[in-house]
Amino acid sequence: MPIAAALKVLVVDDQNSVRQMTRITLEQIGVRHIHEAENGVKAIDTASTQPLDLIISDYNMPEMDGMELLRAVRGHPAARRIPFILVTGRGDRELVVKAAQAGANNYVVKPFTADILKTKIEQVIGRLS
Amino acid sequence: MSSLDQLKNTFFDECSEALQQIEGGLTDLRQGHGSDDTINAVFRSVHSVKGGAGIFGFDSLVGFAHVFETVLDAMRGGTLAPSTDIVDVLLPANDVLTDLIAMSRAGEAIPPNYGQESRAALERLLGRTESDGPEEPAPADFDGLDFMPVMVGDMADAPAESAGDGKQTYAIVFRPQAEMLRRANEPLFIIRELQKLGELELTAETDRLPHLNEIEHDRPYIGWTGTLRTDARREQIEEVFEFVTGDCQVEITLEEAPAPAPEPMPMPVAAPSAPAPMTAAPAAAPAASLPVHQAPSVAPAAVPEPAEAARPAAPKAAATTMRVEVEKIDRVVNMVGELVIAQAMLGQIVHGLPEDTSSRLTQILDEVIHHTRELKDSVMSMRAQAIGAVFQRMPRLVRELATKTGKKVQLEMHGENTEVDRSIIERLGDPLTHIIRNSIDHGIESPAQRLAAGKDEEGTITLSAEHRGGRIVVEVRDDGGGIDPDRVLKKAREKGLVSPDAVLTEDEINNLIFMPGFSTADTISDISGRGVGMDVVRRNIQDVGGRITIKSERGRGMTLQLALPLTLAVMDGMVIKVSQETYVLPMSAIVECLRPSRNDIHNLVGGRGLLQLRGNLVPVVHLSDLLDMGVENSESDERVVIIADAGDGTRLGIIVDELLGHQQVVVKSMEESYGAVPGVAGATILGNGRVALILDVEKLSELAVTQTYSFTGGRSRNETALAN
Repeated sequence: MPIAAALKVLVVDDQNSVRQMTRITLEQIGVRHIHEAENGVKAIDTASTQPLDLIISDYNMPEMDGMELLRAVRGHPAARRIPFILVTGRGDRELVVKAAQAGANNYVVKPFTADILKTKIEQVIGRLS
Repeated sequence: MSSLDQLKNTFFDECSEALQQIEGGLTDLRQGHGSDDTINAVFRSVHSVKGGAGIFGFDSLVGFAHVFETVLDAMRGGTLAPSTDIVDVLLPANDVLTDLIAMSRAGEAIPPNYGQESRAALERLLGRTESDGPEEPAPADFDGLDFMPVMVGDMADAPAESAGDGKQTYAIVFRPQAEMLRRANEPLFIIRELQKLGELELTAETDRLPHLNEIEHDRPYIGWTGTLRTDARREQIEEVFEFVTGDCQVEITLEEAPAPAPEPMPMPVAAPSAPAPMTAAPAAAPAASLPVHQAPSVAPAAVPEPAEAARPAAPKAAATTMRVEVEKIDRVVNMVGELVIAQAMLGQIVHGLPEDTSSRLTQILDEVIHHTRELKDSVMSMRAQAIGAVFQRMPRLVRELATKTGKKVQLEMHGENTEVDRSIIERLGDPLTHIIRNSIDHGIESPAQRLAAGKDEEGTITLSAEHRGGRIVVEVRDDGGGIDPDRVLKKAREKGLVSPDAVLTEDEINNLIFMPGFSTADTISDISGRGVGMDVVRRNIQDVGGRITIKSERGRGMTLQLALPLTLAVMDGMVIKVSQETYVLPMSAIVECLRPSRNDIHNLVGGRGLLQLRGNLVPVVHLSDLLDMGVENSESDERVVIIADAGDGTRLGIIVDELLGHQQVVVKSMEESYGAVPGVAGATILGNGRVALILDVEKLSELAVTQTYSFTGGRSRNETALAN
């Protein structure tokens, strides 16, 4: 059973405020090790150099969007196995389907509560303790 | 402030940036030079606002942003073509979005139907009508989309996921630190333990080994990098380091199963390359001599390389920014100011020394001066912002005013990227707004009038900014009717601002609009009248050390030019001396300095006089009189007259004893300590450590006028009248 406090999670969003809110939400779940990246390039850098258990990335970002990041992560030798949760807006079912095909492990619709995020994470990596 | 409040503030700051993006993008689209990227960028910005608003619970904002976003999405998808008509709906929508954000930020209740009109227009673009009722809210989750769960941790080691033999290759970095040896932990044992787990290939890093006689026996100089091919779990590897964590640097990274090896690069392993010092460092060095290369040579491809090199080259990070509180930068600016002063003092001391002692010092001092200047420029550039931040507000203003007045006006902007000190930007918004209001209200004619005058039906206001001669020049130009001198003069006479018999040049008449009391009830319309006249505009610009000039061509339009300093913290000043006192005059106010002969000055009562200057008469005053210093004025020919511009084109000659030179001075406000002193703008500390007052030429001019010419009855145009 994965331990929430031991999880190493990378949060990717170009909006600082949203990143911080996601961090707070993760902390409510008990996650202690949180990396942040404000764009895809930095995210790949972190994912390829840090041991990570999970990437939570926004879809809507300039330059490299969440789908492009997902593909880059899946194509990166050092990062390809890291579970990936895509954060999307409401109603974008088509995007979620595409993300699943591209190797996303789950999605979460913005805005989300701690409970929803926890459920989504547990669906990916198993019940947290 | 709670952390949530801080986050909300961060969100609203991001919103401001997003709004600028939206406005800029839509303006580009409106002017026909937008692309798919433009639409995408606008969409993304609206989407970001919506996303953040959702997280922070600003529901009205989410609702409106959603419709806005849907229209943009349709444009992105090609179902809506970005025509002018559509952009004309989107621009006001951005105004509504701006308002909603402002209200949310201020914590105001948002009226339920706020922006309804714009929202309905957006809905119409989407082919919806109000009778359709609100759009079904999209579900917050999607049914029927199942994702395969993966097991974290296990995942990395799951045999099914690794190549062939179920073994994984880990990149290992192990660098013992001094603590480890002090605690009597032997790196060698650790390496042996690792060897037990699988095939270990390590290379010793010997680059930190010092020269033999500098080696200390209790310091580990050698680290190892390499690979471990094993079927053990990561936890098992970590266990090996269990007792030394914290006392050494350890990195264990799962590597991809090696692809078919390229050219194997034979690399010497640890032992042979490690130089002699082993005997000198018994505790640390023997490890290096251990032949760790014990892996069976089945995999010659596993070339041990330092971890950094083995790592895929990290992509270049995108240009990065960070947010810093303005106060922090201001503190640095202040410190740089102090540094400039201290350096000037140092300079004075050095110059006072005998040359044989001072030459080396001078050399170093020059370097200090050079670096200080660079430091100053860097800090100033940190505070600089693109003037676009102010300009961005104007398109909306123009749109609204054009609608209200029934005029057709387009706004052109140039030089939005011109960087200006933040303190100036903050104080530029109101004057610019007012100038543009004036231009649309009084300058640009109605479409019918314009057509009759043979002009394009649509008027143009051009807003531009550029660096010019060490200043920022901002221009607002319109192609309206210009100033009607007869009307302005008539009104000025009615108001008693000009004596009935005064003869004024057209330039002087144009400048009358800056006179306090000129803007009065009958020019106050719904638009340009907030009871604020152009005199306040001029005042605002002068407050930041700027100058405003007006050019008008009757029937062709007018141009208002604002010349602003690059910064408020440091100023170009002329250091002058009167009797025993030293003062600083802002260079921006000085037109020329001259040493007139006694005959050129016609003395009037009270030591005041008139200077004959190239056929014109300029009032001159002794600075000592003006400041009431109570000293006898020297009548020597040595005295200097500084011709200063009081800001409105009025000239004033200031008689001083001596010019001490041109210097950059750091402006220190005195108002907090002494209140506003007429004629004094602030103070500075000179190189000799003495405080000098910085004079306010405009105020001095007012003082001179009220003191000198009260007998003529007029207020300030007298020198013109006399000259004629």
